[in-house]
Amino acid sequence: MADLQDDLRTDAAAAGEFDERTEPYPDEGVVTAESYEPVSDPDDAPMTRARAILAAHPVADGYNGLPWALKRLPWYDLEDGESTVDTDVPRLRSGHVGALFWSLHLPEGLDGDRAVGATLEQLDLAKTVARACEEGLRPACTAGQVADARNRGRVAVLLGPAGAPALGDSLGILRQLHLLGLRVLTLTGVSWASEEGLTRFGEEVVREMNRLGVIADLSGASTQTLRRVLSLSRAPVLCSRSAARSLRPHPANLPDDLLAELGAAKGLCLVPLTAEQTGPTVRDVADHLDHIRAVAGAHCVGLSGTYDSGAAHPQELGDTSCYPRLVAELLRRGWDEPDVALLTWGNVQRVLRGADFTARAAQQRREPSTATISELDG
Amino acid sequence: MTSQEAVRELLREFPVVDGHNDLPWALREQVRYDLDARDIATDQSAHLHTDIPRLRAGGVGAQYWSVYVRTDAPDPVAATLEQIDCVRQLLTRHPEDLRPALTAADMEAARGEGRIASLMGAEGGHSIANSLGTLRGLYGLGVRYMTLTHNDNVDWADSATDQPRAGGLTAFGREVVREMNRLGMLVDLSHVAATTMRDALDASSAPVIFSHSSARAVCDHPRNVPDDVLERLPANGGMAMVTFVPKFVLQAAVDWTAAADENMRVHGFHPLDTTAEAMKVHRAFEERHPRPVATVSTVADHLDHMREAAGIDHLGIGGDYDGTAFTPDGLADVSGYPNLLAELLDRGWSKADLAKLTWKNAVRVLDAAEDVARGLQATRSPSNATIGSLDTPAG
Repeated sequence: MADLQDDLRTDAAAAGEFDERTEPYPDEGVVTAESYEPVSDPDDAPMTRARAILAAHPVADGYNGLPWALKRLPWYDLEDGESTVDTDVPRLRSGHVGALFWSLHLPEGLDGDRAVGATLEQLDLAKTVARACEEGLRPACTAGQVADARNRGRVAVLLGPAGAPALGDSLGILRQLHLLGLRVLTLTGVSWASEEGLTRFGEEVVREMNRLGVIADLSGASTQTLRRVLSLSRAPVLCSRSAARSLRPHPANLPDDLLAELGAAKGLCLVPLTAEQTGPTVRDVADHLDHIRAVAGAHCVGLSGTYDSGAAHPQELGDTSCYPRLVAELLRRGWDEPDVALLTWGNVQRVLRGADFTARAAQQRREPSTATISELDG
Repeated sequence: MTSQEAVRELLREFPVVDGHNDLPWALREQVRYDLDARDIATDQSAHLHTDIPRLRAGGVGAQYWSVYVRTDAPDPVAATLEQIDCVRQLLTRHPEDLRPALTAADMEAARGEGRIASLMGAEGGHSIANSLGTLRGLYGLGVRYMTLTHNDNVDWADSATDQPRAGGLTAFGREVVREMNRLGMLVDLSHVAATTMRDALDASSAPVIFSHSSARAVCDHPRNVPDDVLERLPANGGMAMVTFVPKFVLQAAVDWTAAADENMRVHGFHPLDTTAEAMKVHRAFEERHPRPVATVSTVADHLDHMREAAGIDHLGIGGDYDGTAFTPDGLADVSGYPNLLAELLDRGWSKADLAKLTWKNAVRVLDAAEDVARGLQATRSPSNATIGSLDTPAG
């Protein structure tokens, strides 16, 4: 019910004066230590407490590749269980997953019209998989729809991130992909978001994403791009798969200065559960979460299972049922309940709400952009 | 009451559904979608066949906007999405006049509100790049018919104006038709070879349309529909929407166009070359050989014949405005439909006949396609066939 009440408040705020608002977006739905009501008994074993907290604050998993992984199977049944993949309804339930972002990233090297067409196919595939599993999964676009799915006992499925080449360098195509459900776009691999940062067209893409409510994903983006988007975007941004570079060198992991800047901008760093980026054990993952919480803040850290995307996972975190183990480890380290609740659910909800709010406000002010890349970037 | 007055009265109740209008393409080519530069709320007759005042004057109540892109474009899928975006921008800008429509019920609602129902049609299978997932994406974005080919063959279907290759539809082509049936996207057989028309009629379990084609028996041009195909429309339930393009409907214009094209080739230009030098050659030809002019009566002749061959329940109108350089006398732009209807009334068509021609048939056909789709969706999952799995490469 809390989620529904937040919706009402957001709508009421959206009816007010957008232009006089100084904050880029309201802090609706942000859990604070003062407002948090505990759901677990501190005297229980960590695993028992982890399950109790997750039951109230499930995992919003920022990156999952299930549709693509299912493509190679002639037949599958997600509701009964599908042992050849890491994600199915029984394991999502036992892992207390409440929302999943489905990656639409394409095989390397696709660009131009093939990237656009392949992204349409990916969106279609994701919808087909979700539709075939209506008892367990429910497509969602907005924060309100995510809350609605949860109230119905379904795992909310959001579409994205997709790679920037999916746009075919066109804002009109961005608008159509958004209409088809795209919610997150990774700003790498295109001329307008490169090592040199954003071009003028790149900046216009970010403004149009804000207007639509498509969230910028900056994992793998250049430092220049990341900094420019942080200052430009009126909606919160996220890094869909980034851990701490000071603990483990990996190009997509973020150095401390960027983590701090991301935190200051109320962005979200979603830590991937992959051996390559975080290390081979549950403790390694927890080290990254500890570090990012300390550097960026408890409001700026979340989880990306990265299941069914081809990555190797840390021991004991092999599939979508394993989240309670990770949360139990955090509790052992002294994480309090509000911080765990933010990590698993609250932060992703805040970012979705922020993007929804920014979009509603921007649509009152801005017409769809008709700018073209040739006009702006020459 | 004059015929014109009677037609005006009739159009107020049963406005025109037009099957094909290339305004989005004209906006892309002329002003790169700068919709302020071509504000269709005001008179655009200096640049376009189409604007809202003239649609109103023409008694148009529903329009399938074509989201056509060139067959030789390097990025047909991307360009198609941009065309769809253009239609959406038009709808957002003119909510008082244009109503988004996805279903027959939406068309009726628009008629009740006095707005112009706006539907979308993709003109050519090249827009889906051999992918059923992309086809479903276009449906999801609101596209409600797809012409199987444009002027060039696609890998799975022969065009009327290209060298025969598949001999109609390939196995994947038939799967495309079946998937369109399952979705409720109308199969449009304008532009396709007669072999493709027959194959598609065999494969389709829903009514088909010809969004802008006339009768081959009246004017022998491959873009027109042969009688044996028109005669299959009653059993199929579909419709042929007569087009006005002079070089398809008037035999003298067909012959003149062939001669003009040949003249261009002799001078070393492609017939569609619009560079200054090419146009100079073309103008010189036109001075020596005046261009034959089609009239309202020419188009009415086609409808008279199509009515004989297919029946009154299987006719419609698809002007191809802003998709053709020339138009017949009396049908110069989208305000001209009443002239055609008045001519038909004078030829003895009843008001009930005209109501079917303008409105009722097109709404019935879309409604029937939705009905077929509902039935198929209950039993059939989205097809994941690929062209590679169905069409073994020759040799």
